[in-house]
Amino acid sequence: MAIGAGLIGMLVVLGILVLLALFVVGIYNALVRLRNQVDNAWSQIDVQLKRRHDLIPNLVETARGYMQHERGTFEAITEARSRAMGAHNVAEASKAEGALTEALSKFMLVVENYPDLKANQNFLSLQETLTSTENKIAFARQGYNDQVLFYNNKIQMFPSNIVAGMFNFAKRDYFEIQNEAERSVPKVSF
Amino acid sequence: MWELIRVNKRNSVILLAAMGSVLLLLGFTLGYLFGGAPQAGWFGMLIAAGIWLFMMLISLSSGDQILLSSAKAVPVTADVHPMLFNVVEEMTLAANLPKTPKVYIINDPAPNAFAAGRSPDSASIAVTAGLLGKLNRDELQGVVAHEMSHIIHRDILFVTLAGVMLGSIVLISEIFLRSMFYSSLGSRRRYSSRSSNEGLAQIVMIVVAVLFAILAPIFAQLLYFALSRKREYLADAGGARLTRYPEGLASALEKIAGSTVTMETANKVTAPMYIANPFRGPKAMHLYGTHPPIEERIRILRNMSHGAGYINYEKSYEEVTKRSPVVPASALKEEEVAIRQGAAPSKPEQTTRQQARQVGDLMRTVSAFAFLACGGCGLKMKIPPNYKGAAVSCPRCGQKSTLPQ
Amino acid sequence: MDCPICKTAMIVLELEEVEIDYCTQCAGIWLDAGELELLLDNADRADSLLRSFTVAKADEKKRKCPICLKKMEKVRVGSDEDRPELIDRCPKNHGLWFDRGELQEVLRRGHFDDAGRIRRLLGDLFFSEPKNSPQ
Repeated sequence: MAIGAGLIGMLVVLGILVLLALFVVGIYNALVRLRNQVDNAWSQIDVQLKRRHDLIPNLVETARGYMQHERGTFEAITEARSRAMGAHNVAEASKAEGALTEALSKFMLVVENYPDLKANQNFLSLQETLTSTENKIAFARQGYNDQVLFYNNKIQMFPSNIVAGMFNFAKRDYFEIQNEAERSVPKVSF
Repeated sequence: MWELIRVNKRNSVILLAAMGSVLLLLGFTLGYLFGGAPQAGWFGMLIAAGIWLFMMLISLSSGDQILLSSAKAVPVTADVHPMLFNVVEEMTLAANLPKTPKVYIINDPAPNAFAAGRSPDSASIAVTAGLLGKLNRDELQGVVAHEMSHIIHRDILFVTLAGVMLGSIVLISEIFLRSMFYSSLGSRRRYSSRSSNEGLAQIVMIVVAVLFAILAPIFAQLLYFALSRKREYLADAGGARLTRYPEGLASALEKIAGSTVTMETANKVTAPMYIANPFRGPKAMHLYGTHPPIEERIRILRNMSHGAGYINYEKSYEEVTKRSPVVPASALKEEEVAIRQGAAPSKPEQTTRQQARQVGDLMRTVSAFAFLACGGCGLKMKIPPNYKGAAVSCPRCGQKSTLPQ
Repeated sequence: MDCPICKTAMIVLELEEVEIDYCTQCAGIWLDAGELELLLDNADRADSLLRSFTVAKADEKKRKCPICLKKMEKVRVGSDEDRPELIDRCPKNHGLWFDRGELQEVLRRGHFDDAGRIRRLLGDLFFSEPKNSPQ
C-alpha cells in the first residue's frame, strides 16, 4: 500500500511537471512567434523606405521638364534622398527620412500650379505610386507599433511574463515619430 | 485586435454548437417520424450529420473559389487598377498580415465588396467595378480596411461554417416539408388502418415535426444574422482603426447606400459577405437582418471625433445607438488611437455618362477587351476578345487598325 | 455581344461618351436602351422614345435581340406612309437594331427624336456629309 501510494504520488508530480513543461513551451513558442512578427514588421518599414528612394529619380525626371522654375524644390528632394541613403544609424536615417517626406509633400503642393504636368499620364501613375509609398511607410510604422504594443503587453502580463523573464525576451521600442508635422500620414494631396 | 479574435472564436463555437444541435435535433425528429422508432431517429441524426459533414468538406476545401466564381469575380493584376492594389498592400501592412490577399474585380455596376478565404494566409478581396468608379482613394481604403478586418477577425471562417450549417438545416427541412406535402394523402390512408389512438399520436407527431421543420431554419437564421450584424460593426471599428480615418469608410458607406442599383451577382447565401446589403427594394426586406442599418453605421463612424481606436468606436456606438456595448471589454484596454487627416480629394464631379464609361471600360478591361483609337479620326473602338480578325477598319474614316496581340 | 445577323462578336464604338455596338461584317448597328438613356439624359425619355414607334407588319426576316435572344418586332420610323422605313426593336425594349443602310435612310429622312441628339451623334459617327447638307 505504502509503495503504491508513493508511486501514485510520484506519478502525479511527474504529470504536473510534464503539464508545466508543455505550458512553458507553448508560451515560449507564442513569444518567439510574436517577436518574429515584430521583426518582420520592422523590416517592412525598411522595404518601403527603399522603394521611395528608387522612385524619386524617375519622378524628378518626369516633372523637371514641366517645372523649369522649381529647381530649389528638386534640389531639396535629391539632397534629402542622398542623405537618407547614406545614413549610418537609425537616428540619422529617421531624421533624413523625415526631411525627405517633408520635401516631397512640399513638391506635391507645388505641382498643383502645373496643370500640364498633372495631365501627364506618366506623371499621374508616378503620383499614385508615390502616394501609395508614403502611405505604406506610414502604415508599416503603424503596423509595427501595433505589433510592439501587443508583444510588450504579452511579456509584461502574467503568466507569460515569467517565461519571458526566464528566456530574456526584451521589451521593444516604439517607432517614435520625430516631429509633429510627421505625426499624421503625410498630406500628399492630389 | 488580437483580443477581438479570441472573443470571436469563443462566440463562433457557441453559435456553431447551438446551430449544430438544431441540425441534429431536426435529423432525429424527422428520422423518428419516418421510421416510427427511436432507432430511426438516431439514424436520421446520422444522415443529418452526414449531409453537414459533406457540405462542410466541400466548403472548406474550395469554399472561397465557389463563392468568388458564383459572384463572377475575376482575378486581376496590378496594372488593371494600380490604386486598388496599392490600397490593398497598404492595409496589409497596417494589419500585419503575413501575405497580401488576392485581388478580384466583379463585373457589376452596383458598388459593393467582400472578402473570402479561410485564413489570413489565403484570403481574397473582391470589389465591384461600380465601387471603383464611385469612390476616391480614402473611401476605397476604408472599404478595403473593413474587408481586411473581416479577414483578421476570422469572420470568413465563421461565415463559411455557420453558412454551411444554415444551408444544411434549410436543405433538410425543405426536403422534409416537400415530401410531407406530396405524400400526405397516401400516408393518411395507411395510418387509418391502425387503431385511432395510434393514428392520433402519429398526427401529433407529424404536427410537431412540421412545426419544427418550419421553425428550425428561422431560428438558425436569427442566430446567424445576429452574429453577422455584430461582426459588421466590429469590422467597421477595425476598418476605422486600421486607416486611422473613420470618415473614409463613412463616406464610402454613404455612397454605397446612395446607389439604387441591385447587385446582379449576389444571392441569398452570399449576401452577408458583402460590406453592405447587396439587395435593394422589396428583395432587401427578407435579408434586412444580415446587415445593421447603413445609416446607423455611418452615424457611428462620423461620431468618432476623439480617436480611431476600438475604445473610440465603442463610445460612439453607445452614444448613437443607446445600446449595450458591441466591442468586447477585453479589447478596449489599448490606449486611444489618434485620427489622421484625410489626404485624397473628393472624386471630381462626373457626369452620368463619364461614370458609365469609366465603369464600363473597367469591366471590359477585366474581360480582356482590346482598346483602340483609330489612327485616322481618333474614334474609340473596344474590341471583344472573341472578335474574329486581326484588324478592324474604322467605320467613320475607313482606316485600318491592327489589333494588339 | 453577338451580331443578330452574322452571329459573330460586334465591336464597341465610343463617341461623345456614348457607345454603340457595330458589326464589322454586315455594318449593322445595335443601339442599346441604356446608351439611349445616357444620350437623352433621362430614362423616361428613352423609354417613351422606344415605345413611340408603331409596330408594323412586314415580311422581312425577324432578327433576335442580342441581349435577350427574343424575336424583335419590326417598327416604323418616320411619317412617310407610302415607304415606311422599318427597323427592329426588342419586345422587351432592350434596344434598337439597324440593318446596313437603314440608319442612313432613317437619318436622311430626319425624323427620329425631337431633340435630334441621336441623329447628330450617329450622323457624326458614320456620315460626315449630312452635317453640311441642308436639313
